[in-house]
Amino acid sequence: MSVPPPPIRVAACGALTAFGDETVTLDALLAGRTALAARPVQGRPGDDLVPLALIPARPYDETLPPGWLPALQTLAARIPGEGWGTPRRPVFVTGSNFGVGHLLAFRRHGDPAHLDLGTPYECVAHVARTLGWGPDVTVISHACVSAHLGLLQATRTLHAGLADEALVFSFDFISAFVAGGFHALKILNADFPAPYQNRPVGSIGLGDGAAFAVLTRDRGDFALAGQSLHNEMHHFTANRADGSGFAACLADLPAAAVRRVWLKGHGTGTLEAGRLETAALDQAFPDAPLVSWKGALGHTLGSCGLVELAIALAAIRRGRAPGTIGATAPGFTPAVAFDAFDLAGFDGVVCTSNAFGGAHAAFIACHA
Amino acid sequence: MSDPLKNQLKTLMIDTLRLEDVTPADIVDDEPLIGGGLSLDSIDALELVVRLEKEFGIKIGSSEESRTALASVNALADYIRAHADSSRLPAA
Repeated sequence: MSVPPPPIRVAACGALTAFGDETVTLDALLAGRTALAARPVQGRPGDDLVPLALIPARPYDETLPPGWLPALQTLAARIPGEGWGTPRRPVFVTGSNFGVGHLLAFRRHGDPAHLDLGTPYECVAHVARTLGWGPDVTVISHACVSAHLGLLQATRTLHAGLADEALVFSFDFISAFVAGGFHALKILNADFPAPYQNRPVGSIGLGDGAAFAVLTRDRGDFALAGQSLHNEMHHFTANRADGSGFAACLADLPAAAVRRVWLKGHGTGTLEAGRLETAALDQAFPDAPLVSWKGALGHTLGSCGLVELAIALAAIRRGRAPGTIGATAPGFTPAVAFDAFDLAGFDGVVCTSNAFGGAHAAFIACHA
Repeated sequence: MSDPLKNQLKTLMIDTLRLEDVTPADIVDDEPLIGGGLSLDSIDALELVVRLEKEFGIKIGSSEESRTALASVNALADYIRAHADSSRLPAA
């Protein structure tokens, strides 16, 4: 019988949300605040208003250079170490938007310079040049589980001995292009999200988010005790009605690695997925308190897994987890925690994300 | 006697979703549109909603409302009559 490799450690982890860094964000969440505000979906007067959480003062319309780049530089300045993007220190960049809004900007304004940011590879190349990274940069994108894939790929790289440290870096800044798409699906509407709340109409919010994690084999206060991925291969925008996709992903987690966990779920605010997700989590982790923070941060899309990991680790350090902001009882299950709670007695957190295309991802984070 | 609005909706569905080998007569008024005999899915629903909003000047506010409206041709016709300006409706 093969011995599983030791858990990969998290040497550093930070995030940026519409509130600020992970510490400021945690303060805001513990205070029950939301960064979501009703904004015109396309940024034009008269547009439908939808809940968006944007980093303060950054322009919603695409600019050259990108208006979000200074915020990303501020975040990147906190990454410890040097030589990122080299063979022994590879970078895995994840996200679901990258600079796609620049395609709409090109259509609106005709400036071909926007095309240099419009695709994931071009956008990441621009970011890598700006941040001084070398060429060992891998781009991974799979909708809203993108960051989980980056963490898993970095873990495999370290387990294989192919690197000394790995940087997972993720960013998603909301554009009119992306907000318009979710608005067309009718899940981004005038209502503010109320994750896991049993109500007649569902809705989500969208938010800016970026984060990083430095993974190593032997340094850091926290560890990723297990990771899992599953694709139910059912439908582009719908899950199997029996929730088996959610359950299959959770079943692959080494739950025995920790005794008592709390749950940071995906919880966007949609009803069908919320019901399936809460039921599956309840089955896999009976009585574990469940929270979602997307009612405050908005859905940070492909970056949500890493953004929420950074906040979860900050919460563990603080000893207190924020509740499910924006929602009130009744929840889909009694396990939904609406208020903040103390983390004394908990050994770790299970973080989950779900994505278009039937993808499910989860990991367990705990003290090393 | 056939309902002009329902006929218009069926024609619009066939046109928008490029339903090959389907005629208005093939679409049953009370059959579920999504997951029923037409095998429409949520992406089809999205396309249909966008077209209906343009055609009838209506605004469907949420995915739940969209699902209610698209329950069947009968439900869709009722929804359009309740929400569209009468000038947009075909003469009875």
